[in-house]
Amino acid sequence: MKLAGVVLLFVGAATFASAFPAGAPEINAGSAGSALALLSGALLIIRARRKQ
Amino acid sequence: MTHSPASVSEPACEGAGSVVRRQASFSLGLSRRFALFSLLFAAEFIPISSLVHKDRGAGTLLEIAVVFVPLLLAIAYVKSPQTFQQVSAELRLARLRWSLLGAHIAALLAFLGLSLAQAANNGLLSGLTGAVLWYTTGFLTLAFAGWAFVPPRAALRLVRHTRWAWLYALAVAVLAQRLIIYRTLWNGAVWNPAIDLSWKPATDLTFGMVNMLLRMLLSNVIANRATMMIGTPAFHVEITPWCAGFEGTALMLVFSTAWLAFFRREYRFPQALLLVPAGMAVMWVSNVIRITALILIGVAGAPKVAISGFHSQAGWIAFTCVALSFAVFSRQLTWFSAEPRTETQPQAATHNPTAAYLMPFVVLMAAGMVSTAASSGFEWLYPLRVIAAAITLWYFRSKYSELNWRFGWLSALAGLAVFGIWLGLDRFSGAHLDSPIGPGLASLGSSGRLTWLAFRIIGAIATVPIAEELAFRGFLIRRVISADFDSLNPRRFTYLSILVSSVAFGLLHGDRWIAGSVAGLIYAAVFLRRGRIGDAVFAHALTNALLAAWVLWSGRWYLW
Repeated sequence: MKLAGVVLLFVGAATFASAFPAGAPEINAGSAGSALALLSGALLIIRARRKQ
Repeated sequence: MTHSPASVSEPACEGAGSVVRRQASFSLGLSRRFALFSLLFAAEFIPISSLVHKDRGAGTLLEIAVVFVPLLLAIAYVKSPQTFQQVSAELRLARLRWSLLGAHIAALLAFLGLSLAQAANNGLLSGLTGAVLWYTTGFLTLAFAGWAFVPPRAALRLVRHTRWAWLYALAVAVLAQRLIIYRTLWNGAVWNPAIDLSWKPATDLTFGMVNMLLRMLLSNVIANRATMMIGTPAFHVEITPWCAGFEGTALMLVFSTAWLAFFRREYRFPQALLLVPAGMAVMWVSNVIRITALILIGVAGAPKVAISGFHSQAGWIAFTCVALSFAVFSRQLTWFSAEPRTETQPQAATHNPTAAYLMPFVVLMAAGMVSTAASSGFEWLYPLRVIAAAITLWYFRSKYSELNWRFGWLSALAGLAVFGIWLGLDRFSGAHLDSPIGPGLASLGSSGRLTWLAFRIIGAIATVPIAEELAFRGFLIRRVISADFDSLNPRRFTYLSILVSSVAFGLLHGDRWIAGSVAGLIYAAVFLRRGRIGDAVFAHALTNALLAAWVLWSGRWYLW
């Protein structure tokens, strides 16, 4: 649940960072879904390995 | 520093000792309810933000509310943390109000209907009545969702100690909205402290570092600090504040702070706090490298790849790499880690069931980001996704031999149903009809075209369904219930776990998140019926196969 908390908080921040109308060339809102999925999945694997 | 096992999993504002916690698999305290509400809000706000921002000032109101509500709650918590603990403990005993979530969905659909009617300009939403209806449905959408997670009586108890603090929170929220959101941030006409005191010097720093790196690699560098243009006569770019490193650094600030806060018992403070600026600095430097690489790609003769593909992907790739490095290496440094390193850790780490379920999906996402970054619209490197995922699946084949890959007729029906739903909901997705695939394929020779299509179809009906079903149905449904997910029966679920896995699956599909979420629910249903991963994979593969046939037959490449 802690990791879920990190992901939720980060998703929220990324959402608001990308939802406002100004352009965002550095962090592209269109790629947010894939990037967050990749990051979340990799973090879950890392944490799971450590806990074994 | 030692802690009892019970306190490890409890958020700071939960766990009042005076109330006995009910032994239920589905109990939600205050922080989890806030988190779920935020997730729901984010999931719904992303795709409809353009409708909310369009006019009538609703976007402004929402932006003010986004600052106002958390700030007021923060003040309330500081004033009376005991009240939060008490309310949280009581909410653990209360059931989630599913009927109100149903009302929320009904209000959301009404709001969307009115918004789309307005977009179609059919006169339904004109005049005062239309405006009142639009605002009312929008307000009810938020109110029902809020009520479902935190009842009004509990919410009032939380803020009743704040007295006149709501005025202060409102003033700050309005000021923040005006200063940070409403203003154009690179506006030389209006003095803006956000720009003049930090943005311009920081952008200058990025410009100087890129200039230095480029001059080490190229001989004909042109750099104009007045216009912020940098590159070569053949290819140059403008470094604006938006690409100067602020966004990535801000995301790193959020990530590193959240990471240290949630896993605070694993770190040694105060020295661990140094990791936050260190992570931000690394992210800033990585952005300098990103801009330098972008210019080098453009100079090397691929300006379209530099602008279209690399530009949009490299920021996320850099952030993902820095964030993962932060998570892995921050604990390796003994000065920061609260846990002494032991010799038994490497041996214990060899068993990781999560990796078998998630690694193909993670590799698929990583390969997708790389192949998109190397493209200029048309993803010519798509075969990389298929090959990378196939190699990963092969690597974990012994683990997959333990799973049940059989499937039944119901999974075929499910696949067919999702295909119909996908096409039916496509008109509401707002997806762009123009796709780079058609022109991209036309530019290839016949053998190249056939090879690309073969890999695209294999990806759609084999590697993608297997990787995604392992991640979302095989893993996530049970992982939401327990960290020790592999010990649970594959048919074990809660309504929350199904909702989380389906919505996460839907969000992965961007504009088509509604169709994706519905598809996730259906695949979850066929998977959970007998606990066979084969049912979900076959249903998913059949949907994608039918979709591929439809795309090839109709030429509607945007559906891919």
